[in-house]
Amino acid sequence: MLSIENLHVAYGPVHALEGISLEVPRGQIISIIGSNGAGKTTLLNTICALIRQKSGTIKFEGRELSRFTHQIVKLGIVQVPEGRKVFAGLTVRENLMAGGYVLKEALRLQQNIEKMFDLYPILRDRQNQQAGTLSGGEQQMLAICRGLMAEPKLLLLDEPSLGLGPIIVNGVFQLIRRIREQGITVVLVEQNARKALALCNYAYVLENGKIAMRGQGRELLCDAAIKKAYLGECS
Amino acid sequence: MTPQLLINGISLGSVYALIAVGFALIFNILKFSNFSHGGLMSVTAYIGYVACVFLGHYIKDLPLFVVTLVAAALGGGLLALVVERVAFRRLRNSNSSVIYYFISSITMGILMENSITIFASSNFYSYPSFFPASVIRFGALSVAIPDLLTFLFSAAALVILLVVLFRTKIGLAIRSTSFDTSTAKLMGMDPNRVVAATFFASGVLGGVAGVFLGINYTLYPQLGQLIVKGFVASVIGGLGSISGALIGAVLLGVVEIFLIGLVGAGWSPVVIFVIMLVFLLLRPRGISGVIVQEKA
Repeated sequence: MLSIENLHVAYGPVHALEGISLEVPRGQIISIIGSNGAGKTTLLNTICALIRQKSGTIKFEGRELSRFTHQIVKLGIVQVPEGRKVFAGLTVRENLMAGGYVLKEALRLQQNIEKMFDLYPILRDRQNQQAGTLSGGEQQMLAICRGLMAEPKLLLLDEPSLGLGPIIVNGVFQLIRRIREQGITVVLVEQNARKALALCNYAYVLENGKIAMRGQGRELLCDAAIKKAYLGECS
Repeated sequence: MTPQLLINGISLGSVYALIAVGFALIFNILKFSNFSHGGLMSVTAYIGYVACVFLGHYIKDLPLFVVTLVAAALGGGLLALVVERVAFRRLRNSNSSVIYYFISSITMGILMENSITIFASSNFYSYPSFFPASVIRFGALSVAIPDLLTFLFSAAALVILLVVLFRTKIGLAIRSTSFDTSTAKLMGMDPNRVVAATFFASGVLGGVAGVFLGINYTLYPQLGQLIVKGFVASVIGGLGSISGALIGAVLLGVVEIFLIGLVGAGWSPVVIFVIMLVFLLLRPRGISGVIVQEKA
């Protein structure tokens, strides 16, 4: 569905990504794990054209992607950014409406808002509250629901568990599983490697802008090097 | 006597509100003070003047006044689109720092003012009087008709703006982009369209304000420098807050009218700038208290 070939990205003289190639098949969850500064967020932002690549191609459903972020969203690629980035001064409902900005029909917008309320009912109770007043976990759920509003084919999640307590993290991962069940393809960038690997179909490990390792999620979970570097276990 | 001054003040304040809100809209979305707004108001005041002189042969009184306002508003909106395109779009696309926006906006303002001087000379013109300078009496109160109409039309323009901002899709996009441009892009909002729409709205308000300024103070190329009053109102109300700009502007109008009665027209600006300085020193976030959020 999404295929990236030999992608190079640089911030001035600093190389952030050096020759990344990866495939995202339809209907799967692909995890990208790696430590801080490995280039995970850069990769997502380059897919969404928030950053321009130096070289390499990104193809979605066989066609090369536009250079404009808003057009990429119309094709069905939606990113839920790192740190949630809900519109703090807008109400919960307005945040969802903003997420559904690309929808043409007002009726679909209303239907999708109802779907999100069913998916995460707290949002219904808080719909007229300013999004900035929600707790961190609620904001994350809102951010994901806001992303789903546009009916994406491919959802890019950037560190959805960042800064959240264990219970809400479980809730987030459950939600991601349900998103896959709805047939939406997911690219999940995570530092919580254990959970991400357990959930995904296939994973890439990013180190210093390069793909250091790749494989089935469960295989990588058992890999000695991964265990040592990312799962905090001594072997 | 006193309630009447209050009404005059509110009427003047509503014109300041048009300026201050036009100012705040741009500040919100691009995080800089758009000083070219003054030049734009000068130009629209002349556009309104030309429209009402030409059309004055065919229509009169209230219809002429409305047509004049609409012509100036549309002219202002379109001019603002040109300003955005010429002065700011390239800066945005190359992520320039705020100082360039400042320089560009001041340059654009000077350019517009001086274009008027070239084409219309630096002479003073005055709008024909649309209405007999009569008053309406409400019991003991008498309200001058021009003041009343100024207030009504300014309020109408602001209400329309609020409806657009809070009830339409493009309004939602403007508010989202004001909070966070990159995230708004990730929602599929086209920044160029959103910024253009914001400039158009700001220009429409500037156009209406330009006509009222022209009527109140006669026409001259530097008329738009009254933008300073809009800026003062923004500071008092809280930069980057629409409701703050409204409150600040009405307060400023009322205070100014009272000061003119109290200390005279010469000293009143002095006192007003002192008030602004006090606000900047003691409460820089203004009355509304919204702290402009850094873009994260």
